[in-house]
Amino acid sequence: MDHKLEKILARVQKPGRYVGGEYNAVVKDKAGVDCRFALCFPDTYEIGMSNLGMRILYGVMNETDGVWCERVFAPWGDMEDAMRREGLPLYALESGDPVKDFDFVGFSVGYELAYTNILNLLDLAGLPLRAADRPDLAPIVVAGGTAMYDPEPIAPFVDIVSLGEGEDVTLEMIRLYRRAKQEGWSKAEYLRQAARIPGLYIPSLYDVTYHDDGTVAAVTPRDGAPAVVTKRIVTDMNRSYYPVKTIVPSTEVTQDRVMLELFRGCIRGCRFCQAGYVYRPVRGRDYELLVKQGIEACRDSGYQDMTLMSLSSSDYPDLLPLCDGLLDYCQPRKISLALPSLRADNFSMRLMEKLQAGGRKSGLTFAPEAGSQRLRDAINKNVTEEDLLNSCRTAFEGGWSSVKLYFMLGLPTETDEDVLGIADLANKVYYTWKTYSTNRSRGIRITVSTSCFVPKSHTPFQWEAQNTMEEYLRKVTLLREHMRNKSITYNWHDPETSFLEAALSRGDRRLADVIETAWRNGAKFDSWSEYFSLRTWLDAFAACGLDPAFYASRERGKDEVLPWSMISDGVKTSYLWKEKETAYQGKITPDCKVKCTGCGASKLCEGGICHV
Amino acid sequence: MSDQRILFRKAGTAKYISHLDLMHTMERAFLRAGISIRHTQGYHPHPYVSIPLPLPLGFSSDCEILEFGLVDGATVETLPEQMNRALPAGIEILDCYDGGLAFKKLAFVRYDITLEFETAQAEEGAEDFKALMGRESFVVQKKSKKAKAGFTEVDIIPLVEAVEAVRAEGTVLSLTLLLKAQNPGLNPDVLLQGFKSEFPDLHVIYTACHRREILDENKAPYR
Repeated sequence: MDHKLEKILARVQKPGRYVGGEYNAVVKDKAGVDCRFALCFPDTYEIGMSNLGMRILYGVMNETDGVWCERVFAPWGDMEDAMRREGLPLYALESGDPVKDFDFVGFSVGYELAYTNILNLLDLAGLPLRAADRPDLAPIVVAGGTAMYDPEPIAPFVDIVSLGEGEDVTLEMIRLYRRAKQEGWSKAEYLRQAARIPGLYIPSLYDVTYHDDGTVAAVTPRDGAPAVVTKRIVTDMNRSYYPVKTIVPSTEVTQDRVMLELFRGCIRGCRFCQAGYVYRPVRGRDYELLVKQGIEACRDSGYQDMTLMSLSSSDYPDLLPLCDGLLDYCQPRKISLALPSLRADNFSMRLMEKLQAGGRKSGLTFAPEAGSQRLRDAINKNVTEEDLLNSCRTAFEGGWSSVKLYFMLGLPTETDEDVLGIADLANKVYYTWKTYSTNRSRGIRITVSTSCFVPKSHTPFQWEAQNTMEEYLRKVTLLREHMRNKSITYNWHDPETSFLEAALSRGDRRLADVIETAWRNGAKFDSWSEYFSLRTWLDAFAACGLDPAFYASRERGKDEVLPWSMISDGVKTSYLWKEKETAYQGKITPDCKVKCTGCGASKLCEGGICHV
Repeated sequence: MSDQRILFRKAGTAKYISHLDLMHTMERAFLRAGISIRHTQGYHPHPYVSIPLPLPLGFSSDCEILEFGLVDGATVETLPEQMNRALPAGIEILDCYDGGLAFKKLAFVRYDITLEFETAQAEEGAEDFKALMGRESFVVQKKSKKAKAGFTEVDIIPLVEAVEAVRAEGTVLSLTLLLKAQNPGLNPDVLLQGFKSEFPDLHVIYTACHRREILDENKAPYR
């Protein structure tokens, strides 16, 4: 290990996250490598190592001869200070080599509040922030991940945006790069060619013009770049890569367990949910394959916990045989199996009983999202009060004594009646416990949490205004006054970060200046309360002559050119608008299994058919 | 059947694995290697792994010991090779054997300690160190979670069994010390902190501690 690094590590918190060397970390012989990829996660090691996407891309790239993918995470403040003081540039964990010497610097961007960390990492690497100030072919700075469905706020900083699932397109991008390197192309030439690869959006090949009122007038492609870039998907999940053999951190991380991915996409179509739209269509893995992969992953990692992951696990058609197959292996070995994202119905409850047989009964978590049936219909969250209370009854009869309920405030069409419906529902859960609990002496803990709705791009609510921070606080106060039951704890999310998230998540290219200004004034780790300062951001907006409310709290018209209009996830904008209107009529839309409602995502599949 | 022990090295990047994380790492490595180990009895059984003398974070060592129990008739002969394939970089199993001395018989630890000075102060540091060790008593404050004041006072002198070597070369001072291991033991970091605050004119920029050997009461290698 580098002696300078050793000196620094003696003085920082949790040094284990800065050294690599974990079981299954990939170290290649540099002599056999002609493309080096620094896969960066713009948050801490603990968060980044919990991300399945990182593990998939790491595996896919390292399975390719001549390509070496290494990991980079954001150093915490004490480490960053020490690195800057000692002049140690950002390095990759596997080799310890400086990131600026890599061929690719790729960012996995799951949330907007990580934008300042991207800038910080580029700066720590010693790279110019703006793509235009990096004239050489290497390194190519690329970004992907869910936040990149509106990449415009960070467009000037990156060379390439990779849309959708990266398993295939990342290798295509690398293949083209290796040719460029061999044939001595300029960066401009490489980017022009890369624009022809489906799923790659090259921000520098698009000109954006604005109206006087600040809305986008037009997005115009240049040099043969496509007018619309559509995301990539893996069409056959049974043949796609799953990281059976994956890095096992030697220090504790947030999700320290086997993560088994059941399927991608979601049939439900909750209108607020960006994931529910951008991951369409639904594509599953066969349960026999999942059982095999789950067992192999446990064996190779030595993990004693496994989580089944998907957007809505109750919708996995073979959930019972899958759980049986895994339990046969897990139960005798005392490996615990967790199944989050279940719906509140009796089938799910029976399944929970089975998974927790003999074990400790942890709390139950439900996400009704809205307090009234009317509002749940408007957001297409297909859960009834009856379902929820029946599930609670089964749980209380089975001895559970802790329930968490998650809601959102500020959903479109919400009235104070809907807000109070949250308190009402919590009380009904309480009375259900009083009536059916088998062991009342243990008491009951009901935790109600509310977050602030953030309208996201590519959803039916992408045209909506977010509630102002004052309005959110008024609703929180209203709800607090109506939750007096000692068994009910009420937690609410602070609206400040949600306001910033809303401003960034539907932003245009002009926000790049705001992000850079905020970063220069100290903003980083904005999703961490230790660091977040709304003041810094408001000052940055003001300094750039922009108003965050223009992005967060303004309703957009049907004909407005949205900043992300050149990005497609396969779902038609006309479909989203129709869904928005259906929401205002308080009507539900059937899920994909009941009936295809023609969102357009089926065109992404071979033969144009979704296999739901 | 008695329990088993492994003797292992912890160095390089593995220096930064904390004691608690090391226990998890070992448990997982046993599972990865397909070696079944004894679980504790009780309501929440867990794999039995025990380390007699936890190594402070950042130290390296050639002589760590971990006790566990083999079940299913696994043998100690093939275990090091099986485990070494399942461990992260920097941890290497050197030996595996049945039985071993009781934990309380672990009496001394031989440490190699390196101090790096900003300038060529090693000679001066060596003299100061020897003078310090010649004192009757040297009381330092040691952080404590239990004590109300947040620290306790320790006299270091009786806890240093022997100063075996002092070598000064330019900016680097190397010490080999034999320290009491337990009841009470001395963490060399405590000694180094005391040394640094006693001689503020010495500018120490880096220290490294390496456990070379652990010894029983008769100063024979503890196993």
